[in-house]
Amino acid sequence: MSGTQVGPALRFPWRQAGLTERQAAAHLLSRFTYGAMPGQVDAVVKMGLENWFAQQLAAQDPDDSLEQILSRYDALELSNEQVAETYPRNGQVIRMAIRDGVVDKDSVKADRVAYRQVIRQYMEEKGYKRQQELFRQFFCQKILRAAYSENQLQEVMTDFWFNHFNVSLTKNDCAEFIPAYERDVIRPNALGRFNELLLKTAKSPAMLYYLDNFSSSGPARDTAQKRARGLNENYAREVMELHTLGVDGGYSQQDVTEAARVLTGWGVRLREDGDFFFNANRHDQGEKVVMGRVFPAGGGYEEGVDLLNMLAHHPSTAKFICHKIAVRFVNDDPPATLVDKMANTFLEKNGDIRQVLITMVSAPEFWSAGALREKTKSPFELAIGAVRSLHATIDQPMQLYNWVTRMGEREYYYQAPTGFPDKGAYWINTGSLLSRMNFGLALAAGRIPGVRVDLLALNHGHEPENARAALLIYGHLILPERNLDATVKRLTPMLNERDSTMTTPAVEGDPMLAQVVGIIIGSPEYQRR
Amino acid sequence: MVSRRAFLKGSGLALFGVGLMGGIPAFLAEAVASDKILRPYKRRRVMVCIFQRGAMDGLMAVTPFTDTYFQAARPTLRLASVAAGRTNPVIDLDGRWGLHPGMKAFEPFFKDGRLAIVQGIGSPNNTRSHFDAQDYMESGTPFNKGTSSGWLNRAVGLLGHDALTPFSAVSLTSALPRSFYGDNPSLAIANLQDFALQPKGNPAPAGVAARSFEELYDQASASLLRETGKESFEAMKLLQQADVANYRPAAGVVYPASQLGNAMRQIAQLIKMDVGLEVAFTESNGWDTHFNQGTDNGIFARSVTDLSNSIAAFWQDLEAYQDDVTVMTMTEFGRTVHQNGTGGTDHGRASCNFILGNRVDGGKVHGDVATLAIENLEDRRDLPVTTDFRSVFSAVADAHLQISNDKVLFPDWSGKKAAVMKV
Repeated sequence: MSGTQVGPALRFPWRQAGLTERQAAAHLLSRFTYGAMPGQVDAVVKMGLENWFAQQLAAQDPDDSLEQILSRYDALELSNEQVAETYPRNGQVIRMAIRDGVVDKDSVKADRVAYRQVIRQYMEEKGYKRQQELFRQFFCQKILRAAYSENQLQEVMTDFWFNHFNVSLTKNDCAEFIPAYERDVIRPNALGRFNELLLKTAKSPAMLYYLDNFSSSGPARDTAQKRARGLNENYAREVMELHTLGVDGGYSQQDVTEAARVLTGWGVRLREDGDFFFNANRHDQGEKVVMGRVFPAGGGYEEGVDLLNMLAHHPSTAKFICHKIAVRFVNDDPPATLVDKMANTFLEKNGDIRQVLITMVSAPEFWSAGALREKTKSPFELAIGAVRSLHATIDQPMQLYNWVTRMGEREYYYQAPTGFPDKGAYWINTGSLLSRMNFGLALAAGRIPGVRVDLLALNHGHEPENARAALLIYGHLILPERNLDATVKRLTPMLNERDSTMTTPAVEGDPMLAQVVGIIIGSPEYQRR
Repeated sequence: MVSRRAFLKGSGLALFGVGLMGGIPAFLAEAVASDKILRPYKRRRVMVCIFQRGAMDGLMAVTPFTDTYFQAARPTLRLASVAAGRTNPVIDLDGRWGLHPGMKAFEPFFKDGRLAIVQGIGSPNNTRSHFDAQDYMESGTPFNKGTSSGWLNRAVGLLGHDALTPFSAVSLTSALPRSFYGDNPSLAIANLQDFALQPKGNPAPAGVAARSFEELYDQASASLLRETGKESFEAMKLLQQADVANYRPAAGVVYPASQLGNAMRQIAQLIKMDVGLEVAFTESNGWDTHFNQGTDNGIFARSVTDLSNSIAAFWQDLEAYQDDVTVMTMTEFGRTVHQNGTGGTDHGRASCNFILGNRVDGGKVHGDVATLAIENLEDRRDLPVTTDFRSVFSAVADAHLQISNDKVLFPDWSGKKAAVMKV
């Protein structure tokens, strides 16, 4: 990570916005973590808000217990080459099995059960594993890191940049490279410099396959080459429209075509020391002009790097990226004054993402009434936040993944290069809202297999006397620094009914308590951060 | 302003004795009241789209059974001809094209002139990647990956009225399909029974929890949560009243016990409930037949049987609603004219699609397809695309849903609509 100095002089203007220190700490935690854990507001106040933020920016906190849990997953550290060798695609396995004479090409339909058995045995002998297992481990690590990493900001920013530079498991060609993409390209650079992030995504097999740039080449020199040759503009267009300048960022279709020519010959060759391969033979050697800048003939690989640097440092990019960051951390429609400040920092500090975040948190807009609790949690944020709120123990993360999918966010499967829209109106619809309520009830009642909750432990083993007491105690634990008077007043008469329809939790415990906690997690107030 | 009673009388809601708090769901009352066309008794028309993922072998589904070039290209991978007197021959449609015998459920529709087939349909973009081709077909912009919305979501925006309900656009899938991406309201739900509080593993109705949530959302300060919450509870009660779990199709109708059969049954349920459905979507998998796709038996035969039986059951189940509904299938591309070395077919270009409805110019195999002589093929291997998918989709959307703004529906396209619907 490019270690920039954060500087000691951080000062967040929350007091001017009329907030108490605890309210400010709760706001800070709501934006830069996956949710405050019980007691965390106090911890941040004690440490000092600025110190806590500086520590998150440094992203150097030891994560021993998390690493311990992750060490149970054997695919997480594999290189792309090892992945390709160990987790072949389904179609590949069948082709290899036919080639090796293990299955007859005509036997596929005859007896499906026997056929599957033969394929399974073949994979075992060869040491091949199912690709779905690779993805399962990948989903699990995302959930575990988000729930348990001490370096929460790094995880939040990893999610942000992955979504910005989206690639998708729906596309088979790039799917197997996506775990390493997040691990090697996104996470280590999530708090680094934008131009480095951009260049590394451009050179990654995941992106090269997702947006087809691996296939793009200069003109054919003879007819024999004709079928395998040709310009593909997909990446060039999206790198300008979605990754850097934005759709109105000041480029033309001609610029897209020229940029595509600059980026020809960028390909993949899986190796230990890096998977990127520049194929000079496929590169368009001619002169190009992109947005007025001349790239003289014969520029080779370097001209692609120059182009990406030019895009990374363009004022339109500064605005576009900073607006998107502000949407993530402030509200769905952030004030232009704030975005301008951030964009200035972006340009002055050479795309240093930490400095941009500091400018944002140091601005009054970040602490204003228009920002507080204005973001709607995504399904992932809701699920992980609830796990953190309840200090839940995740033994098997996949059920959480499935719940997040049901609530409308199938992680790593968003098909379009735009990534998930980051706005409340996208996440909230009639179906997903009921799923959120069901999630709250299920989690609190211990009905999500693989996730353990101990509600009494949260209250140091004391059982609340009645529903009203439960609501007060757990409301303040789960929704720190929120005014819950109205909620308590409204719910108390209903909760006191204790009718026969009460939820029965799967684990030992008080059904009333599970119900109250489930209602808090499914409540409108908890859907916001 | 339409009175609630008038609405109830006209809408069929009365049939299941609505006992909702405050009468009918507010979203339906508002939908009717704001209906700019002022036809409150008129049921909505519905366009049902089925995406066959994996690229259907259109030449196996609708076969040029007299084409000698085709016979040569598929020495073992073709259906028995009509004349050979064998069991399970192709169903002769017009002397040139034959329907796969697995799709005999389609035969009466074709003969009645309700079912049209477009042969040679596809995308101008010649990508043979499933992902890219599906993406392009669903976004409706075959050369632009960055289009954030899907064509069916844009269609919802072009319905010409503000009377949208939570059920205006429903995808019977677990995740929102690319076709539905966008700003207009749309809903993805795999199972209508999940539209409830605590659906699984809890026999008792979640009385307290449900009432608590309703109370909280009713008072939520954020309008998005308040209004959506209100609609959620109303929609949930509506589905409970309709007893979706115990739906009984029309007499004699049996849906296949498949994912697609299930989805089609639920689309029929929604249509009969008159909850405002106008655009429905679902999908069918397993069309990527590289290996041993089979002929009148096997993988491909099972898939076409499921497809046609699901659609036929749906159609018969609709009974009096048939005039309101058009069903259209789509698939990302077709497959090679030649069979490959493993008893299957590889990724090609054009395929065919099916359109069923009373407004369809049916009983015809549309499209301008030459013989399969090698010089007529794209890259000397594939059925060329002679009908742009957008010319068909836009024609159906126009004739059935009165969506005529093609500039918005298919932004990069300025072609002519295909004549697949009655004028």
